[in-house]
Amino acid sequence: MKKHTFRKHKLEGTDKMENAIVMKNVCKDFKILNRHEGLKGSIRDLFSRDYKTISAVKDVSLEIARGEIIGYLGPNGAGKSTTIKMMTGVLEPTSGEIMVNGLVPYKERTKNSERIGVVFGQRSQLWWSLPLIESFRLLRDIYMVPKKDYEEMLELYRSLVDIEPILHKPVRQMSLGQRTLSDILAAFLHNPAIVFLDEPTIGLDVSMKAKIRSLIQGLNAEKNTTVILTTHDMGDVDALCKRIVIIDEGKKIYDNDIEHLKSYFGSYRTLRIRHADDTWEERVIDETKEDVMDVIMKKQKEQKIKDIQLQEISTEEVIKKIYENSAASKESAAVSDVAEKKEEATV
Amino acid sequence: MSDTTMTKPKARRGFGFYVRIYRKILVQDLKSKMSYRADFVISTIGMIMTNLSGFVTFLILFKNFPSINGWDYYHMLFLYGFSLIALTPVQCFFDNNWNLRFQVQSGDFIKYCFRPINVFFYFMSEVFDVKGLGQLAFGIGTLVYAWVHIGIPVTPLVIAKLVLFLLTASLFMIAIMNAAAATCFWIVGSGYVMVIMFRFKDFAKYPSNIFHGVFRILFTFVIPIAFVAYYPSLAILESENVPVLTWCAPALGVLFFYLSYKFWMLGVSKYDFTGS
Amino acid sequence: MNMRRHLALTRAGIMESLQYRLGTAVTLFANLIYLVLVYFLWRAIYDSAGTDVVNGMTFTDTMIYLILATALFNFLEMFVVWDMSRSIQSGKIILDLLKPMNFRTYTFWSYSGSHVVLFTLTFIPTFIVVMIVTNGAIPMGINLLYFIIATVLALIVNFSMEMIVATICLYTESTWGINIVKETIVLLLSGASIPLAFFPEMFRKVVEFLPFRAVYDIPLTILLKKNGTDTLEELLPMFGLQLAWCVILTVAGILFWNHSVRKITVNGG
Repeated sequence: MKKHTFRKHKLEGTDKMENAIVMKNVCKDFKILNRHEGLKGSIRDLFSRDYKTISAVKDVSLEIARGEIIGYLGPNGAGKSTTIKMMTGVLEPTSGEIMVNGLVPYKERTKNSERIGVVFGQRSQLWWSLPLIESFRLLRDIYMVPKKDYEEMLELYRSLVDIEPILHKPVRQMSLGQRTLSDILAAFLHNPAIVFLDEPTIGLDVSMKAKIRSLIQGLNAEKNTTVILTTHDMGDVDALCKRIVIIDEGKKIYDNDIEHLKSYFGSYRTLRIRHADDTWEERVIDETKEDVMDVIMKKQKEQKIKDIQLQEISTEEVIKKIYENSAASKESAAVSDVAEKKEEATV
Repeated sequence: MSDTTMTKPKARRGFGFYVRIYRKILVQDLKSKMSYRADFVISTIGMIMTNLSGFVTFLILFKNFPSINGWDYYHMLFLYGFSLIALTPVQCFFDNNWNLRFQVQSGDFIKYCFRPINVFFYFMSEVFDVKGLGQLAFGIGTLVYAWVHIGIPVTPLVIAKLVLFLLTASLFMIAIMNAAAATCFWIVGSGYVMVIMFRFKDFAKYPSNIFHGVFRILFTFVIPIAFVAYYPSLAILESENVPVLTWCAPALGVLFFYLSYKFWMLGVSKYDFTGS
Repeated sequence: MNMRRHLALTRAGIMESLQYRLGTAVTLFANLIYLVLVYFLWRAIYDSAGTDVVNGMTFTDTMIYLILATALFNFLEMFVVWDMSRSIQSGKIILDLLKPMNFRTYTFWSYSGSHVVLFTLTFIPTFIVVMIVTNGAIPMGINLLYFIIATVLALIVNFSMEMIVATICLYTESTWGINIVKETIVLLLSGASIPLAFFPEMFRKVVEFLPFRAVYDIPLTILLKKNGTDTLEELLPMFGLQLAWCVILTVAGILFWNHSVRKITVNGG
């Protein structure tokens, strides 16, 4: 790695040498034609010059340390893939600075791509009609991986996952799970410093998901690869990520450890009560506002309780709350007010 | 891992690298194509049919009209064969251009941007079109037949000239198709441009002195179909009075190819990959 | 009623075609250049011939015929075969088959919108330009009405041929090969690249009974009123031929399609 180049381009306040990615106030705008409705509208659009600017990413700053696995989350259309495209050098930011492995990705796209790997959930990047091993060999040549490193990597793959059944199978004949697995293996083959995984477990069955998660974990542990993971599956996040970043409407709305996430809105727990008629009642309790024991006691006065369960709130529920909260804050300026209403709705 | 990166040589991925990669992809590709024999047979039949129909059109024309602009049957046939051979490289090596607009529209094109190799090369290397070879055979047959009837002497110099000018001619068609395909980066629904440019090639087999005025300039320097067969073939057909443009053809071919490549790459860098 | 549902598809098609405004402009321009090529080629051919009339056609006749044939070709061109092979490969075909409308009907009406747009944007402008340039060489009268009828029939024949070829895609992945065979045969035998009048006698006799002629040659012959085709005795055989091919190809297409789809579903493909 060319450390001196990194120093030269070093951004302010990034003393940590191990930063894999640094983003400073990055914005990305797109200009699109304002389309009108209906048949008349489409005829009018033929001559219209009515453009509008859409901000896909607004003033995002981010630092990602080497070896981290980061969950990059957000609702559909939040700007996740635009950010990834900027990090991989495919898109140029409208303003702000990005450094990936000490390089400005869009200026040195080719050089940058030597040190990164990318997987897009449902789009295979492998040669469709070739057996996987031939794709690997081509990638070895393209990335100029030394023979020894290549063999070692294959050995590592063998120790982490059973690759023999897919190695000699053409990609077009593979199941979705096998294809995703192949794509992930291909992305790690040249031992990149950073791997971007865009919804790697989308559409996969439970056992395949588990397989892929443990593979990613293993590779990260073994090679200290930084992994940027975008996903809608909180199982991925729980299994892999220590830190998560959430963006919505192009803005970063959360960036912290996964433990902090659970106390983002207070300290939530789910209380489940079984009534005499064997029905379960479920209710989310904010422990900063009310005491669990109080709730149980109150309930007990109303009716007989057969059983009680107390559950930690799941990541999924917190994320859902954050999305809802963010959506609501757009409608009203009084955030706290809305947050309370939302809470009532959940209860 | 930083150690392995550091030991890699610096200046790399030169011409030799790309030839090696292309050869490897090609070998693998051909291997897998062998397993789809029905596909191969149908494509080959298709190719033969196209050429046959082109030839029938040609015959029907000459049955009604004995010559075109002073070009007789055998000279026209020579031009025809020459154009078929010159159109082979674009068919064999650059056929993936036809898929470009679909991949750009669906967003799948982005995958070509993640590798540390030239995007244009990577994209084109994915498809080698075997059926172009059928066209090549047809072209060679026609050319040889016309060659014998015209009675052009066979000397090493003439053969060298033939090869050089065939290569030159092929560059122009490649350039036209690159540029036509690349319009899809800016214009949604520009697929028709490719279709029509591809049909322009049918006019390459006629002597370009049929064009007059502004259109002669247009078809020589803007959409250079005059260079796909006419000007380069004059280097063989004419012993004297070879037009200056014929001698300029090799340099112009390289220039056109380079410009079309730059245009294609500009499209890649300007495209915002929103389709997904 | 049912018709309203079909017209909704037409409307959606028109809107979709208009979305590509630059694409439309570029298409028009490229077409114009193509016509220039056709003009120069035939100018040179007629100049070299030494006579003004070849096979009963003057230069102007040939030009009008070829230009309108090109315009008709652009307006009739469909990408059913490509769309079909794409949706088969992506598996989208299953969704298409599950639509609450007959697949064939759905495809036909989805394309109708782009036909309307292309007819307005390519055929009519070309027609007007030809009229102006030739000082009204195209007869204007009842033949226009006949031409419209013939064009609609041509459209149905063309669509039926497309659908038959597209059905073959269920059996093989070689879309390119199938499509090129179809395109070459149609273009040559329909008289779109060389007027049928130039064909050798024997060849022409055969071609006249094939369905391809119904697509380009018949509408244009009617429009240009060649050989006095405004009389009923001349018109009826031509419409008859078109109608016959409409019925034959539609029935054949439906049978072939149903047979193939059933086979595919049985195989679980």
